[in-house]
Amino acid sequence: APLRIDTAISNTPPHPRPRPGPLDLSGAKGHVPAPLPSALSTARAIEDLQSVTYPEGVKSPKVELNANAKDGKFRYDRDFLLQFMMVCKEKPDNLPDLDVLGLQPSENHPMARTTSGR
Amino acid sequence: QEVDMQAQAENIRTVFSDPKNFNVKHPLFSPWTLWFDSPATKGRNLPQTPMSSFPQTPLPQTPGGLAAAAQGWMEDIKRVISFDSVEEFWGLYNNIVPPSQLPQKANYYLFKEGIIPAWEDEENKNGGKWSIQLPKDKNRANVDKMWLYTMLAAIGETFDPVVVDAESPDSPPSSLITGVIVSTRPQFYRLSIWTRTAPNGSATDEDTKLKDRVEAIGRHFKTSVLGYTDSAKLAGPLATEVEFLSHKDSEKKGKQAKKIIV
Repeated sequence: APLRIDTAISNTPPHPRPRPGPLDLSGAKGHVPAPLPSALSTARAIEDLQSVTYPEGVKSPKVELNANAKDGKFRYDRDFLLQFMMVCKEKPDNLPDLDVLGLQPSENHPMARTTSGR
Repeated sequence: QEVDMQAQAENIRTVFSDPKNFNVKHPLFSPWTLWFDSPATKGRNLPQTPMSSFPQTPLPQTPGGLAAAAQGWMEDIKRVISFDSVEEFWGLYNNIVPPSQLPQKANYYLFKEGIIPAWEDEENKNGGKWSIQLPKDKNRANVDKMWLYTMLAAIGETFDPVVVDAESPDSPPSSLITGVIVSTRPQFYRLSIWTRTAPNGSATDEDTKLKDRVEAIGRHFKTSVLGYTDSAKLAGPLATEVEFLSHKDSEKKGKQAKKIIV
């Protein structure tokens, strides 16, 4: 399907230079627009590590780990992986609500929070 | 605005050159699934609303069905997320609770996708585990880093040195690792590395080769991942050496258990 952005005022007939009117949110009731897909979910898998150039100061993965690599099955050394720590901070779209999983830090959330009807 | 000219020419943008609009990510050797359990997940019947729903714990079909014991074991273990790239791993890591802040009696299980964290899984049943137990009071400050380094060696596939040497040119290199676990207990932490196979103690060439390969994993765990010297003695009150036990021997509860220690 082609990429398109669904807006709440899409009923407005097409016009070369539409003048924006006041926002009418009544049509948006119960309609939660889908968030734009994140780069994380749309980026494609690297097929050839050699084709990637990293900005200055960023180390490439150790070459010897991937001497026999095929089918995108790459191995990465720790120093290479650690460089992503401060860059990739965005919460993954598919990470469930940790509260619902019963996965909470023990200090901030005493056990009382977790007692449910069941 | 500094953009690497070559990367731009080839239209490859990594997260380092464009953290917001990168268009490639680094695939992992295998996709992984993170699982979690704690006293709070026991008996939890999770509501399946759109906001909170997540895939039901999938139990793989095995010939003859998965043992009932594993069904019970998996009941309270919750699947958190699956991922197959370096970038997704860090997004998860930066948004989840580190082991030092988990409640007591909690476990994270990071296993290759399709392998459940149970002895009974086809990929685990002939295997074993390297593990170390660390007293809690002395290691509260270290455990998060130790677990991170354990996960990085697992997803980076650097635990098993033989994985590089494809056994035959037409079969891709395969790895002995099936998963890694961190456990919090009232007095200690435990870290474990699960392997697909385990030496059986016979002195055949094949078994000796496997034992060498398994021992190399243990030594890598002890020195590179945990940061101890090769000769360090680690056993003490509430602490163990880095030791290997096959799952079959673990079931015997110590009787005739053939531990390997590095």
